[in-house]
Amino acid sequence: MAPVLEVSGLVKHFPVEGSHAVVQAVNGVSFTIAAGETVALVGESGSGKTTIGRCVLGLVPPTAGSIRFRGRDMGRRWNVRSPALRGKMQLVFQEPGESLDPRMPIGRSIAEPLRLGSLDRAARERRVQEVVQRVNLPLDILDQYPTELSAGQQQRVAIARAIVTDPELLVLDEPTSALDPTARAEIIELLMRIQRELGTAYLFISHDLSTVHQVSHRIIVLYLGRVLEEGASRAVFRTPRHPYSVGLLSAVLLPSPGLRRETTFVLEGEIPSPINMPPGCPLATRCPFRIDRCSTAFPDAERIGPQHVVHCFRHEEVAAREHATDTFEEFQRIAQRILAARGDRPESELAGIPALPPHRQADRVEDDTER
Amino acid sequence: MTEAMRGEAQSLVTRANIRQGNPASAGRASAASEGPAVIDVRDLEVAYYVYGAEPTRALRNVSVRLRPGEILGLVGESGAGKTTLARAIMRVVPRPGRIERGEIFFMGTDLGAMSEAELSKLRGRDLAMIVANPRGELNPLLRIGPQIATIAEVHLGVSRKRGLEMALDMLRAVAIPDPERRLRAYPHELSGGMAQRIVIAMALICGPRFVISDDATSGLDVTVQAQVLDLLRKLVREQNTSMLYITRDIGVAANFCDRVDIIYKGEIVEDAPTEAFFSGPAHPYSNFLFAAFSHNAELRRRWMGSAPSPESDAAEALCLYADRCVKRQVRCLAEHPALRELAAGRLARCHFPVER
Repeated sequence: MAPVLEVSGLVKHFPVEGSHAVVQAVNGVSFTIAAGETVALVGESGSGKTTIGRCVLGLVPPTAGSIRFRGRDMGRRWNVRSPALRGKMQLVFQEPGESLDPRMPIGRSIAEPLRLGSLDRAARERRVQEVVQRVNLPLDILDQYPTELSAGQQQRVAIARAIVTDPELLVLDEPTSALDPTARAEIIELLMRIQRELGTAYLFISHDLSTVHQVSHRIIVLYLGRVLEEGASRAVFRTPRHPYSVGLLSAVLLPSPGLRRETTFVLEGEIPSPINMPPGCPLATRCPFRIDRCSTAFPDAERIGPQHVVHCFRHEEVAAREHATDTFEEFQRIAQRILAARGDRPESELAGIPALPPHRQADRVEDDTER
Repeated sequence: MTEAMRGEAQSLVTRANIRQGNPASAGRASAASEGPAVIDVRDLEVAYYVYGAEPTRALRNVSVRLRPGEILGLVGESGAGKTTLARAIMRVVPRPGRIERGEIFFMGTDLGAMSEAELSKLRGRDLAMIVANPRGELNPLLRIGPQIATIAEVHLGVSRKRGLEMALDMLRAVAIPDPERRLRAYPHELSGGMAQRIVIAMALICGPRFVISDDATSGLDVTVQAQVLDLLRKLVREQNTSMLYITRDIGVAANFCDRVDIIYKGEIVEDAPTEAFFSGPAHPYSNFLFAAFSHNAELRRRWMGSAPSPESDAAEALCLYADRCVKRQVRCLAEHPALRELAAGRLARCHFPVER
């Protein structure tokens, strides 16, 4: 089956006002997303993740390259607005509180994307009720306003609004970064269930690698608008081959003291400015593996496994020095061991305990299987 | 780290000790060494008064002690009272909030008995705070150097020239590249990570005894966060500063803090050394919070009770977590649990703590 989204050679440069300088936000990025698949874009702020998402949605025109959605070239403006594609791509933002109109009742906010469609009023209402139930919110929420909801509930509303047009692709730009840990876990479980039920493709933009580990099938590591490594999520997390991927993964602090990806080097400093970048590998200024060649040429893609591609002249040395290990999985095993025991008392002692108040729908746990 | 930084940090330690008139403690830099509490919060209650409604109790009976050189992680979700505690310690609770009850001792002195003028001298010199939004802390119209130097001038009485020298040393200490040039930079010229380091430099320039970090590294990229935390720990250890580290991320708490306090609805529900906590939390809420990081829906469901009910806020008798607790028993609805010791240094506010 043809992929839902095909991005090839995407370039996006922004002119800097009052000078001839150019912000090179995206510099030749290619990838595809199939139906029902989650592709994660990861990298530090300034790596071009959000710009790629905006180009895909047609919110900013690309400088070069092509974006094909279900085989149609989205570089042409009339395609972005074509009725056949209307509502087929949707966006969920980071801050649910800011992406909802504070003066609009929830029901109207969710129905808003349907107004351009052909549904009549009754059909729209039915559709809204359907998606509200799908995201596990009670129907009485439709008459409430955003400020009456918790951040987790607001994000459910934003997701309901995004899926109301039955899109084939969702661009999720840091959908859980602003949430508390418990709300974050709920939203992730919800997104995974929706994908299983509806087969929606996700472009998942995040700097939270632990969330990415859970949701994504494939992962693309970006740095200053270039792909440095990409591959099946499992492979990249277990055997990262680019020094930057290793640096990112070993910087993650997991909730177990001292559990960190062991590595033989550290990535110093921070991401430089994407204005008027020199040629060569963008990581050359920070990379402990840097050789002369790195500052003159950007390494070609080298295939090192099925689907696993790396852009680095010295990836074999990285592979030789780094252990294959997935600390995220290791933590999951630790958590399993700790949390499996609840230390409940035997049933006989529990007689006479009052029942818990009825569950609220919004807080029902998503039933989900692990990926 | 460079020699220059070590030297500077050493001179900061010395300076702090001279000011405290305590040369005997010079060179003592062991983590969490024995000694009187730097900060001792006792039975603190803070409420927010909203017209026409019952006051909201943001902090209930909170007691927190920090020894010299100790890093205490305060972990909880939005609205649990983390920032209110930070503000209460600095005695800057905004209206309509009010400190209802309790005492806060700093090096044995009751902050509540101090005048605003005395407190102003303490804040920024002995008590410092680092917040999450570093750019909001910096004056956009002033260059970095003078902004940092002013703090030393005001609190330590040094000249502008000496202040700028100290600012330069601090920029080196927080590993800012090209520090001479950055002294002349304006805040908008800095990246988020760099602005955060500037704010850390400002907080530490006077060699404070106590620092609060309120979610200060959560907005940073993981790579920069790791660097900033390493740096903070190094500076805190070398100056023997105590630190209250407020966060929602238990991953940071596990790797950065000596001890962990879990706060829920304005109450400390668990207090444990980091290693002990992460080998198995005792309070059911701590376990629920921990499960949120496990990325395992089944485990999460094991620890998830029903939704919170608003009525429970008013009821004094019951455990504040009773309505969501998976281990709830009759006693939890009849008797508010006290924070009690389960093992040496391990406390939990629960009638039926999880035993492993």
